[in-house]
Amino acid sequence: MTPAQALMEEAQPIHPAPTSFWRRYVFSIDHKMIAKQFLWAGLLFLLVGGALAMLIRWQWGFPYRPVPLVGRLLFGESGVIGPATYQQIFTTHGLVMIFFAVTPVLIGTFGNLLIPLMIGARDMAFPRLNMYSFWTFLLSQLLVLASFFAPLGSAGAGWTTYTPLSTNVGMPGMGQTLVVAAIFVTGVSSTMGAVNYITTVIRLRAPGMTYMRLPLTIWGLWLTAILNALFVPVLGSAALLLLLDRSFGTEFFVAGASAVRGGGDPILWQHLFWIFGHPEVYIMILPAWGILGDVLSFFARKPHHWYRGTVWAMVLVTVLSAMVYGHHMFMTGMSPLLGEGFMLFTLLISIPSMVVVVNWVLTLWQGSLRYDTPMLFALGTVFVFGVGGLTGLFLGDISMDLYLHDTMFVVGHFHFTMAAASVMGAFTGIYFWFPKMFGRRLGERLGKIHFWFTFLGLTLVFGGQLLAGYAGQERRLFDPFQYTFIQGLRGLNRWTSYFAFALFTGQLFFVVNFFRGVFGRRAAPAGPNPWHVTTLEWTATSSPPPFHNFDRIPEVVRGPHELSNPEVRRLTGRDFAGQAELLPGDGAAAVAARKG
Amino acid sequence: MAQREERGREPAPGLVRDLTRYRRRPHGAERTAYVGMAVFLGSWAMLFVALFFAYAFLRARAPSWPPLDAPPLPRLLPGLNTLVIAASSAAVVRATRSQELRRPRGVTAALAAAVVLGAIFLLVQGVVWSGLWRQGLVPAGGPYPSVFYAFTAFHALHVVVGLAALAWLAVRARAGGESLRTDVRLWGWYWHFVGVVWGVLYLTVYLA
Repeated sequence: MTPAQALMEEAQPIHPAPTSFWRRYVFSIDHKMIAKQFLWAGLLFLLVGGALAMLIRWQWGFPYRPVPLVGRLLFGESGVIGPATYQQIFTTHGLVMIFFAVTPVLIGTFGNLLIPLMIGARDMAFPRLNMYSFWTFLLSQLLVLASFFAPLGSAGAGWTTYTPLSTNVGMPGMGQTLVVAAIFVTGVSSTMGAVNYITTVIRLRAPGMTYMRLPLTIWGLWLTAILNALFVPVLGSAALLLLLDRSFGTEFFVAGASAVRGGGDPILWQHLFWIFGHPEVYIMILPAWGILGDVLSFFARKPHHWYRGTVWAMVLVTVLSAMVYGHHMFMTGMSPLLGEGFMLFTLLISIPSMVVVVNWVLTLWQGSLRYDTPMLFALGTVFVFGVGGLTGLFLGDISMDLYLHDTMFVVGHFHFTMAAASVMGAFTGIYFWFPKMFGRRLGERLGKIHFWFTFLGLTLVFGGQLLAGYAGQERRLFDPFQYTFIQGLRGLNRWTSYFAFALFTGQLFFVVNFFRGVFGRRAAPAGPNPWHVTTLEWTATSSPPPFHNFDRIPEVVRGPHELSNPEVRRLTGRDFAGQAELLPGDGAAAVAARKG
Repeated sequence: MAQREERGREPAPGLVRDLTRYRRRPHGAERTAYVGMAVFLGSWAMLFVALFFAYAFLRARAPSWPPLDAPPLPRLLPGLNTLVIAASSAAVVRATRSQELRRPRGVTAALAAAVVLGAIFLLVQGVVWSGLWRQGLVPAGGPYPSVFYAFTAFHALHVVVGLAALAWLAVRARAGGESLRTDVRLWGWYWHFVGVVWGVLYLTVYLA
């Protein structure tokens, strides 16, 4: 053991695993268990959000027609979605998906599971804070669920909660208050998580795990945590002021009529919301980028192309993401000069983003690709993210945005990035790290069927939205066909809905696969390293890892993508070498020299 | 790397001051706690940054600030309060020093002083609130009173949390013990943070 290892061992002693049911599964401070808790909570709400989306699609495909199967149960005798209910459906669909489904899966699950395992730590820096973070998150989920039972129903001001619609003037019900409170509470949870993630990566990297040896997944999660720490509190303060407006009669967002006192300003909400909201877009995609960076390399059996370039590009995107929020507000009458500044920075983001994408493609170039399910999802993510990113250029440009603003084109664009790319990135991660979490692999057959349903489904549904928006269909309308010029789009909307129903049904394959993987006893154990890859969680511990992760804190000797190196093959007969693997003969002198 | 140094190098013999400094040097877990607290306070500061952004935004758009019919905010009492909370911060610094020197009695005394000063701060703030309320400044009277009440109340909430923590630490400090060192320091940071926020609040809301 090297002195550096000894120090880390001393700092992170092995504690006995808890034995009681409550300590083990419920009030757990083990990052792996908390990751699973986030996974269950997130997947459950993904189902809720998806079901809400189906109702929206029904409304757009077949307005004023009773919803089959569940209509009479949910919407009374007629079974038809009413306008007020419809508003609540699309509002909560957005909020549930963003804050309570994708965020917990991408950040809660993978952040918790992977950060300690991939950097060679025994747990998070603050395990107890980690537990509080999950329970706070659960509280926020309960608040959202409670809002559905409030008089006048749940929130209905859109997921962006724009004022004055979201103040008492527009939404007097208790439901909106509960949802705003839920946003605040989930923000507190995210902040706790972010503090933990940032500190863990700074302080608990195993000896030899320099920043430039971190797996790209960790880079993605770490940058995400930084964005979370900086900008979620901004949303928190906006939610706080809105709560004060709703409950204590202050006037931050309600425009007053008095010439003497002046009044609050509804636009203020948009500023605060988007100062948070644009970084949030990257909060939801950076973890997926990181996962992709590693998974593409692993399944192409090649080192990631220009690792440093990808890292710095991701850092640059993180920085720029904080400087572009105004492009959501081109239509609020902001100064044209300011607008052009925001446009410039927005379009600039495409440069580092392209560096990342080109690096992915060059990683695949001449690789020996293995088409396992995680790889399929990763490739699909590259495609849908590409479409999402390219359509973003249209919206970032002011003169185009004036036409496309508030159309379904916007909806299609952000669904390609935040929904398609983030969700498929999350599925990439789930299929890839499932053996590490549960000790068994997910079924390949079901996985591949699930992939094709998901990939084609997402592309067709959101592609349909892009087309509808380009033809002028506005978003959020209860009945888009009240406008004569949209009536020609009935067929398009109906087909988009059919694809959406297929997409939703296709998720059943995942549900079956997932339950079989978790609870089934038929599949053989996956073994410590089923994908034959290099990072610490696969090469330095078992699947699933013991409570203390590593019997001995590993000493890292190389970067995360040591694949297809002829020298490694000569020495080991394998085409990969673990990050902490000391090869026979190789570098023995170097190791000795390092030890002094 | 820094850890390796602190373990590897024995303190230079001779000077007692060097020895004390060596003893004061934080160990690994403590350092991790400091990093975490720094990240947390930086993150939490963004919440106040956003609040002050909202204030600037509303003020820039208001026809007149303060509104013509609003009672003037007092300056003297909050000014005194600024001194009180600064003194309270100084008491916490004192507590940290006593902790370093292993004088549990001193720690308790200093923390108790900080708590008393903090309570006085809240009391004075309550006097300011009730005075303004009686003069007709209520939260529902437009953005000016909204900003005033929301900011001061939110800050006061942070003071209450700090007071509870410091009081609890003062009780624990009576028993002495090395493990308290990190807690005293970290809550000290929090307390200074709350003080700095008050400083900015006083300058921008009361004075400017």
